[in-house]
Amino acid sequence: MAMNLFDDYDDGGFFDEVFDHEGNVRPHYRSLVKRFAELTPEELARRVRLRDDSFRTQGITFTVYGEEEGLERTFPMDLFPRVIPHDEWTTVRDGLVQRVTALNTFLDDLYVGERAVIADRIVPNWLVTSSSGFRREASGVHVPGNARCLVAGIDLVRDADGTYRVLEDNVRNPSGISYVLENRASMTRVFPSAFADLSVCSVSHYGTMLLDALRNVAPPAAGDDPTVVVLTPGVYNAAYFEHVFLARQMGVELVEGRDLVVDEHVVAMRTTRGLQRVDVIYRRIDDEFLDPVAFRPDSSLGIPGLMAAARGGNVTIANAVGNGVADDKAVYAYVPELIRYYLGEEPILANVDSYLLWDDDQRALVLERLDELVVKPVAESGGYGVCIGPSASDEELDDVRRRVLADPRNYVAQEVVALSRHPTLVDDRFKGRHVDLRPFVLTGERVDVVPGGLTRVALREGSLVVNSSQGGGSKDTWVLSDEVGGGDVEGLD
Amino acid sequence: MLARHAESLFWTGRYIERAESTARMLDVTYHGLLEANAYEAEPAWRELLSVLRLDADFRERGGGASAASVSSFLVLDEENGGSIISAVERARENIRSVRELVPIELWEAVNSFHLDLRARNLRRDLDQQPYVLYKLVKQRCQLIAGVASETMPREDGWRFLQIGWTLERAEMACRLLDVRYAAQPELSDFHHWQSTLKSASAFEAYRKAHRSSMDPSDVVAFLLLSRTFPRSVLFCLRRAERELGLLSGSDAPMTRPERLLGRVRADLEFTDVRDIVGGGLHSFLERLQHAVRQVAEAVALQYFRNSQELLLTALDFRPAGAGPAPSSPGVT
Repeated sequence: MAMNLFDDYDDGGFFDEVFDHEGNVRPHYRSLVKRFAELTPEELARRVRLRDDSFRTQGITFTVYGEEEGLERTFPMDLFPRVIPHDEWTTVRDGLVQRVTALNTFLDDLYVGERAVIADRIVPNWLVTSSSGFRREASGVHVPGNARCLVAGIDLVRDADGTYRVLEDNVRNPSGISYVLENRASMTRVFPSAFADLSVCSVSHYGTMLLDALRNVAPPAAGDDPTVVVLTPGVYNAAYFEHVFLARQMGVELVEGRDLVVDEHVVAMRTTRGLQRVDVIYRRIDDEFLDPVAFRPDSSLGIPGLMAAARGGNVTIANAVGNGVADDKAVYAYVPELIRYYLGEEPILANVDSYLLWDDDQRALVLERLDELVVKPVAESGGYGVCIGPSASDEELDDVRRRVLADPRNYVAQEVVALSRHPTLVDDRFKGRHVDLRPFVLTGERVDVVPGGLTRVALREGSLVVNSSQGGGSKDTWVLSDEVGGGDVEGLD
Repeated sequence: MLARHAESLFWTGRYIERAESTARMLDVTYHGLLEANAYEAEPAWRELLSVLRLDADFRERGGGASAASVSSFLVLDEENGGSIISAVERARENIRSVRELVPIELWEAVNSFHLDLRARNLRRDLDQQPYVLYKLVKQRCQLIAGVASETMPREDGWRFLQIGWTLERAEMACRLLDVRYAAQPELSDFHHWQSTLKSASAFEAYRKAHRSSMDPSDVVAFLLLSRTFPRSVLFCLRRAERELGLLSGSDAPMTRPERLLGRVRADLEFTDVRDIVGGGLHSFLERLQHAVRQVAEAVALQYFRNSQELLLTALDFRPAGAGPAPSSPGVT
């Protein structure tokens, strides 16, 4: 039969999201594979054009740092969506809720609690206080409902067995949700018929979910109708498009630091009608730039006196200041223990096996196997500074060895995960490319997960790095709202 | 709306109008002096720089005032904040910072104007066909005005754009009159006043009102006091006054900018042109411009910087460089 797009498809020995090891299509992908197999090359090309037009005219871009000037790029969406069956998703969702609940509790314990986790010797005190994400200035700053990780982006990968594992937690300023929504909007325009066979969970309520969660953390003094704003560093920020997008989705003002003033420990925005009180700030500025009085005095992005206002209970900053200690990649290794300690439950989602490099024994073993392991700086995000042993040159390995020995606290090593692969359109064929998944977890009245999340694809052949800043693409991610009935779609063989 | 957004729209309007009015003044001055010799031309070009308050900046560049030197200073000199290319650049910076609040077509109209000017060989335009260049600038500014008018909802953002636009136009109209009145060869020179009217696109409208005469005081009266011609000073002030009134609401007490503007407009309306044409026009226009600038400052105080903010600025609590981005060369 004419299955041109999948001709010569090779799973390369990896776990493939679509095909099992015998080459059979997994049940939840049958209808999609059938639809793609029926496409003529002309029809496929037409849809690629449709997709490109829709992204270009909407100006969906991000900025890549490190080049001479910030480069604006589009984040290419692959036409073949990723599908997650209902029961699989239920497990993932429960695992994410569990993990974020534990992280919220941990952060509350550290900043406004009794630091029981340290007293009980679950996490060493020096590890917490030496984390670059730990902020003494946040001690005593309460967040209503313990919603310190109001928006969390937890990066998941699937290993060679297809088991979901947590690769890293992002509980500072995770970005990417705008792509989730735009990818879905684009798919419904480019491929409306593909939705007909499956019942896909909607993601379009994200703006409402986020606004509800933000209003939920307003200080009691704010009353019934709190004023929420989105705080952006400005147009030159990599994620500015997303800041605009979120402010629009929620129907709130997008402000910069210079639009806000603090007087008598109350935050207000400068409007044409004078000062208007602000109750909740969804900030997309890093901690150290938020308030030049408390943090970097040279920051012109921040608002002098903001931390004092938060401490006074007159404004809530979301995500909370100091969350970086929880997504420190060395603290990450303790999260399964935190779940057991705070919740008395076994972790539903496993970590990737990790090694702590200040420990002499673990470090010695890691340095022997550098070419087999991944080494990451503990406080970076976006894939910056990561060394993937198997694909690193000797010079790179030597460099990593030097850096680890100079500052073992600030690096962590992990086993290489044979990331699962997914057919991805490369030129005119589907090829297997590695993927991960960043679901978005919101802490509102309860902890909730947006169905699916951002599936990122490493577009370069063999590459394991999926970050948008490192040449990655994305896929629309479909969570099925019920079980797939096997009968209504024919098998392919 | 956010004060910063309002201010950016205000300055977008001002800078676009500045580009257009500068092109109009250059056009009429250049073509009026084509037949003059260098001794006659130099004072005229200096006069133009003087009414634009750019004479000191120009002197710093050194060299004499000629059609070539003044035109390039006022058109393509990026160091000169009052040049057309700078005004368009600043209009673009301002509209860019509110890009998400304005219709996409408006952003595109301003951005493509900026890009097209950058792509042109402006020096060659000035050498060979200044008329074509000035016409292009006028047309693109009018295109932007038209796009704004046809796409923007009549809300606060529109009002700030209009207030900036009309206050700038009122001031530039005063300057045009000033420079033309100073440069007139004889009071009754028909061609001189005809080209003055043409430079404001006012010739035909004037002709309908005054069929036979080309009396200087009629021309001055028309450009100052016409109630129907959209580039007259009075028309601009009335329009700004209306938008200011809509901003503050009909049952609210008058704001300071409204009171100041109401007074300027009334003073102008009750002026008899015959009293000022003669020796006093220049100082009258100077006073009028000063009053219009005070209105603009009052708008800034009322809407862009409230007293709270001024206090903080005075105490130097705000981080360095965090002030409102657009500066206002030439109009302070």
